[in-house]
Amino acid sequence: MAAPLELSCWGGGWGLPSVHSESLVVMAYAKFSGAPLKVNVIDNTWRGSRGDVPILTTENNIVSQPAKILNFLRKQKYNADYELSAKQGADTLAYIALLEEKLLPAVLHTFWVESENYFTVTKPWFASRIPFPLSLILPGRMSKGALTRILLTRGQPPLYHLREVEAQIYRDAKECLNLLSNRLGTSQFFFGDTPSTLDAYVFGFLAPLYKVRFPKVQLQEHLKQLSNLCRFCDDILNSYFRLSLGGISPAGQEIVDANLQKLTQLVNKESNLIEKMDDNLRQSPQLPPRKLPTLKLTPAEEESDSLQRLSP
Amino acid sequence: MSLVAEAFVSQIAAAEPWPENATLYQQLKGEQILLSDNAASLAVQAFLQMCNLPIKVVCRANAEYMSPSGKVPFIHVGNQVVSELGPIVQFVKAKGHSLSDGLDEVQKAEMKAYMELVNNMLLTAELYLQWCDEATVGEITHARYGSPYPWPLNHILAYQKQWEVKRKMKAIGWGNKTLDQVLEDVDQCCQALSQRLGTQPYFFNKQPTELDALVFGHLYTILTTQLTNDELSEKVKNYSNLLAFCRRIEQHYFEDRGKGSLSIRLS
Repeated sequence: MAAPLELSCWGGGWGLPSVHSESLVVMAYAKFSGAPLKVNVIDNTWRGSRGDVPILTTENNIVSQPAKILNFLRKQKYNADYELSAKQGADTLAYIALLEEKLLPAVLHTFWVESENYFTVTKPWFASRIPFPLSLILPGRMSKGALTRILLTRGQPPLYHLREVEAQIYRDAKECLNLLSNRLGTSQFFFGDTPSTLDAYVFGFLAPLYKVRFPKVQLQEHLKQLSNLCRFCDDILNSYFRLSLGGISPAGQEIVDANLQKLTQLVNKESNLIEKMDDNLRQSPQLPPRKLPTLKLTPAEEESDSLQRLSP
Repeated sequence: MSLVAEAFVSQIAAAEPWPENATLYQQLKGEQILLSDNAASLAVQAFLQMCNLPIKVVCRANAEYMSPSGKVPFIHVGNQVVSELGPIVQFVKAKGHSLSDGLDEVQKAEMKAYMELVNNMLLTAELYLQWCDEATVGEITHARYGSPYPWPLNHILAYQKQWEVKRKMKAIGWGNKTLDQVLEDVDQCCQALSQRLGTQPYFFNKQPTELDALVFGHLYTILTTQLTNDELSEKVKNYSNLLAFCRRIEQHYFEDRGKGSLSIRLS
């Protein structure tokens, strides 16, 4: 247990510790169960592999998929499901299967297959974190993998057409979101007051969908209407991931707050002063309005003018 | 199907009552049908029995190609053809029969989640065992799948199907799993189902729902099909409440109605 656990995964953005669903699931689970995890973010140097991310390395083990990583952490006594009953454990498996079957195809589509989203957001983001020349190949491969997965699991043979499948997968995803929202209700986490594996999985799938800014956002719009799911994501982000975000430590933030306070006070004082000055001006005795200097016409012209005005 | 087509179909479905001559098509029972297809077919039969809707089972060698989505079983009702349990449940609901109306929202969510669990784990494990495990493929699957066709068509079709299934397994990440890992997953799934069932007669207490039909279809087929090794059925037999559940449904919905269409009895 004293062995250092290192997780290599894709980095964060838009307020999230990671943009990749599976990495986020593992990170959330580690926070919930209190596992000390050192996170190595993949960057565009040649260090580390980016094959089967997320990858957990300990002294003598390399574990690769989220389900296996979670199992490994549980065996190391970092268990977030300690207080769940048997039925709740069964429910966890069932809901995870629901997420993978119904929500994952639409999330993959939004990130990797929808061309506007892929070319403006996903591809540049991932390409900036992969060293050249792999950055030309890997995002394309990931996109193709996502498309294949959607078509093979949802497409209807023998003609695998994406258009027919698109409407169906988005409808399934919206239904899945509604079901999750119904299940969560008003409680803070899915099983009472402490977060568990299911919360990690739901957070991992929903948070990127919620936070990443896409041009084509129909699923995101639907998610934003389900306020309890949005509140769920925000709660977890604020409680478990705040310290590692933004790079401002709490002490630093307090100093910033104090400065801000002083500035606001100064501005307030100034505006008070300005108001007082304005009042003073209005109440002071009014001088008669100054006459503006008029043009001095010659006497002859004045007379002729007045004479001209009188005649019709 | 697109959204418009689906709405159109359910409008038509709602217009007529269930006819007497509804038929369900599956592959040839004795020689051709495989484990996963048998499970799916049995699930649909159980569901229709639970809804009290008469159905006649017809076996055709080319059932897979007749089906609109390429999957068996499919039902032919009136002048409509619907395949797979999900769309069939919706079709039956449009005709006014439903098993899950009495459930509240949270229970419906649970039911859908458990159905996905069965599809995700049990069905995928069955497919893996049939098409990716070399021993089973060689001895059972190839021979059965191509049996109605003459040489060389039987080999070609079997290899083509195997290639398709292996591609799908790779896409969802099961390509690198060993047989032991797959059996462990089956065990986890059965454990979850067993814990959810507990001591109740059906998954949502007194009334059976489509989840019960689906679970029955898969478990019964696993328990009664002869494979090269018995490990899969052993995993299921570990859970006595699941065995009792299968026995109960078999007795109530198949024997009592005089259907007798289940050729193999549970011991």
